[in-house]
Amino acid sequence: MMTKIEREDNSSAKGLQQFFKQLLEMQEIDALFLPVRLNASTSIMPSLVTDPAQLENAVPLSPSFPLNSARMVSRLSYKASGRKTAVLLRPCETRAFIELIKLKQGSRQELILIGMDCPKALTSSDYAAYAKQAPLADDAYIETVFSDNNDTLNGFEFSSACNTCEHPFPVNTDINILLHGVDLSDGMVVTAETEAGQQVLGRLNLPEATAPARREERIQQIKEGNSTANTAMIEDITDRTDSIVKLNAFFDRCINCYNCRNMCPVCYCKECVFNTDVFHHQPVQYHQWAEKKGSIKLPTDTTFYHLTRMAHMSHACVGCGQCSNACPSDINVFQLFKSVARLTQAAFEYSPGTDENESPPLSVFYEREFENTVGIAREE
Amino acid sequence: MEPFEPVIIAFVCNWCTYTAADLAGTSRLSYPTNIRLIRVMCTGMVDPQYVIKAFLEGADGVLISGCHPGDCHYINGNYKARRRIKLLKEILPRFGIEKDRLRLTWIGASDGIEFAEIMTQINDQIIEMGPSQTRLNKAI
Repeated sequence: MMTKIEREDNSSAKGLQQFFKQLLEMQEIDALFLPVRLNASTSIMPSLVTDPAQLENAVPLSPSFPLNSARMVSRLSYKASGRKTAVLLRPCETRAFIELIKLKQGSRQELILIGMDCPKALTSSDYAAYAKQAPLADDAYIETVFSDNNDTLNGFEFSSACNTCEHPFPVNTDINILLHGVDLSDGMVVTAETEAGQQVLGRLNLPEATAPARREERIQQIKEGNSTANTAMIEDITDRTDSIVKLNAFFDRCINCYNCRNMCPVCYCKECVFNTDVFHHQPVQYHQWAEKKGSIKLPTDTTFYHLTRMAHMSHACVGCGQCSNACPSDINVFQLFKSVARLTQAAFEYSPGTDENESPPLSVFYEREFENTVGIAREE
Repeated sequence: MEPFEPVIIAFVCNWCTYTAADLAGTSRLSYPTNIRLIRVMCTGMVDPQYVIKAFLEGADGVLISGCHPGDCHYINGNYKARRRIKLLKEILPRFGIEKDRLRLTWIGASDGIEFAEIMTQINDQIIEMGPSQTRLNKAI
């Protein structure tokens, strides 16, 4: 099913607001979860909206990406609420949420997942600077990012996570909003992908649309461009961190704030081992380490923490880049983790967030597998 | 120059490899003292963290050894261990810790002779590979 979201007063942003307003006014939908501009400021945060009148501040498409909302949707859905919520997510947010569903930390039972062609994002600091230059420029933004020439935004580079993203198109959703290769002056295209989506979309009585002619072509172009950028990025970061000594140097500004973990949508432990007594060392322990090695940096366990996190979540990394975005020391954590994720995901032939029925690699095992992992034959 | 004496940490399961080590001892077999055994109840409880920590603290090699497939006292702990070692064998070489420094073997409770032989071979291999980068850079 393919229908059209028409523009309002020549504005795609307003057209989208109108679409979401119609959704929320439906009997079946109790609440909407989508980005909203707060308090007439430039800050755009994911919000749970129940009053259609409040949607005039909704900004469904923006370069602001302060956090991966998968964790927030997990909070809204890990138990039944008795409410039906329509949730608008970027593709990387949807994929992260699917990973959380697999871990029983969320459920789509009471949700309608709405996906979109990804509008890319700026880092939070770049977004703040951009929003000063161009406040409320929602339409100009949509026109730019979904044009063929969308490498920069008012001179700002998009986040490296977005430029190297291999999956910037929606999967596993109920309803999709298509924007690439669409003639926006003629409105946006919205499709139903599941029965639940069809039921909702069917009741909105939107005009029929035809498949956007140039979308496939744009998808190919974007995928190829991002994939080339991704390979180059991974080669570069691998080169810069191919030993423990170099890895230590990479993290020498790390202050162990654990923001990267807190903002990681797939860092799934209820309590992180690095917050437990295991790492609440005795004073004498620090002295012993210092005596053994001559000196130790404090806080300790920095490289240990990052390597452990790789072992825990790299197979599920969706490449959203929020670890880098959250880093107060400006360490490009994302690049490093993505380079490791590529290896671990390939080893288990695992593609996070693409198939709800695919089990996380460390939650299953088979009798006959990885047999050359065992034994003492020399490999190198 | 002093000959290189590696430090090899071995996590061995209570039911199979530790018992094999015990058998090796009671049979008066010897194996290199560079290998430090840590008895765990099952290879399935060896958190990847233990292995990472051992390497970061300067271990030249790490061995995990448990029951043969199908023999696990806890039914499937060794299968879980195998996946975790597979995972580590992807992550650690990315940072220059060679795959061959991390070993997973199955040594049953009655394999005392095999235990001593494998320990000797692993020790020889690590000596041939030389000290690990973390040992050479103690201050990290």
